[in-house]
Amino acid sequence: MKFTQRYLGVATIVTLVATIVLGLWVTPPATQAQGGDLARLLYIHPAIAWVALYVSFGTTTVASALYLWRRTRSMVMDRIAYCAMEVSVVYIILTLITGSIWGRPTWGVWWAWDARLTSTAILLVLALGYLALRRANDDPEIRARRSAVFGILIALNVPVIHYSVLWWKTLHQGPTLLTPGQIAVHGSMLWTMLLSFFAFTFQFFWLLRARYRVEEQATQARGIEQADAIAARQREGA
Amino acid sequence: MADTNEATLSPVAPPPTAGRSRRRSIGVLVVLALAVGALLSQGLLHSLNYFVTVDEALAQKHSLGTQTLRLEGVVAPGTIVRTATGTSFVMTGSGSHRVAVSVNGTPPQLFQANIPVVVVGRFASVSSLHYVGNQIMVKHSSTYIAAHPQRVKAPNGTTR
Repeated sequence: MKFTQRYLGVATIVTLVATIVLGLWVTPPATQAQGGDLARLLYIHPAIAWVALYVSFGTTTVASALYLWRRTRSMVMDRIAYCAMEVSVVYIILTLITGSIWGRPTWGVWWAWDARLTSTAILLVLALGYLALRRANDDPEIRARRSAVFGILIALNVPVIHYSVLWWKTLHQGPTLLTPGQIAVHGSMLWTMLLSFFAFTFQFFWLLRARYRVEEQATQARGIEQADAIAARQREGA
Repeated sequence: MADTNEATLSPVAPPPTAGRSRRRSIGVLVVLALAVGALLSQGLLHSLNYFVTVDEALAQKHSLGTQTLRLEGVVAPGTIVRTATGTSFVMTGSGSHRVAVSVNGTPPQLFQANIPVVVVGRFASVSSLHYVGNQIMVKHSSTYIAAHPQRVKAPNGTTR
């Protein structure tokens, strides 16, 4: 496992550094009409949003479903779902912040209550609600079951966010990459953008792995505390 | 709480933590529902669509009256005039639909001719085609083209 962690770390650093170098110095700015240097946010914001919506929420949903399925039910799945959601919150917040930084100079406003932005803000509230729900339940089995059901339910918001720009009129632009047959980004800008998707995806799994290890150790520590307490009571009774 | 005086074969009462968990879970869900409701009321319940296009606005002109709305259209080339208090221009819909727009304040830096914009404001009167706005938002496209695709960077840092 240390092996995986190390290689994930190396892959993350290499791809992130490459994205930064390509994004800041090698790629050309976009035309002035498209924001010039502002378009360099193309190498940050869409990739972070991709991780927030699809990679991390996808991980939580799959792990939650595997927990609910009897054959694959285990506390490992519950922990993966929980840790992925916690990391997801970080990425959703970063999505909103980078989007806002991009929105101010291009749209002229930091925030617009359109369908894309509002549904993303709702996703953040729901993700925080998932974490709060976990804290509200003390019994590990009940917590795992309720969280898994809730995790799958709130993931239903993800397709709504994805299609919001197509279903309704929004200030937010339509999809740049995830529209089949329509790639509208120029040459090296496109490759750098694709690289950023790999970089932030590696980064997510790296963070998830680290967070999982912390959670695993916390669970072990709780087990040791419990065993100590039982031993102490047994000594009292003897 | 289980009544200990009553002999019964029903399952024993769960430990108090389970009841507490349930109450706290319901509490979390209620707070969550209120938060989501607040976001929805702020954002989407008025209308799922963020703006009204020039064509739609002109078609429903009488029902819209002089209420505040977000109007979307393309900035007609050659019509942008910087005034003492802001900017005026002509916004077009599809076909021959045109609305004269005057907006107070500085437009965003990407504001220019031939791009779609959304203007917050209202029509000066029910019959007028003059739209008075207080904010321009630039509707950005998802196309990114390099500024000078033919240029390459020389090793000494200059562009050619």
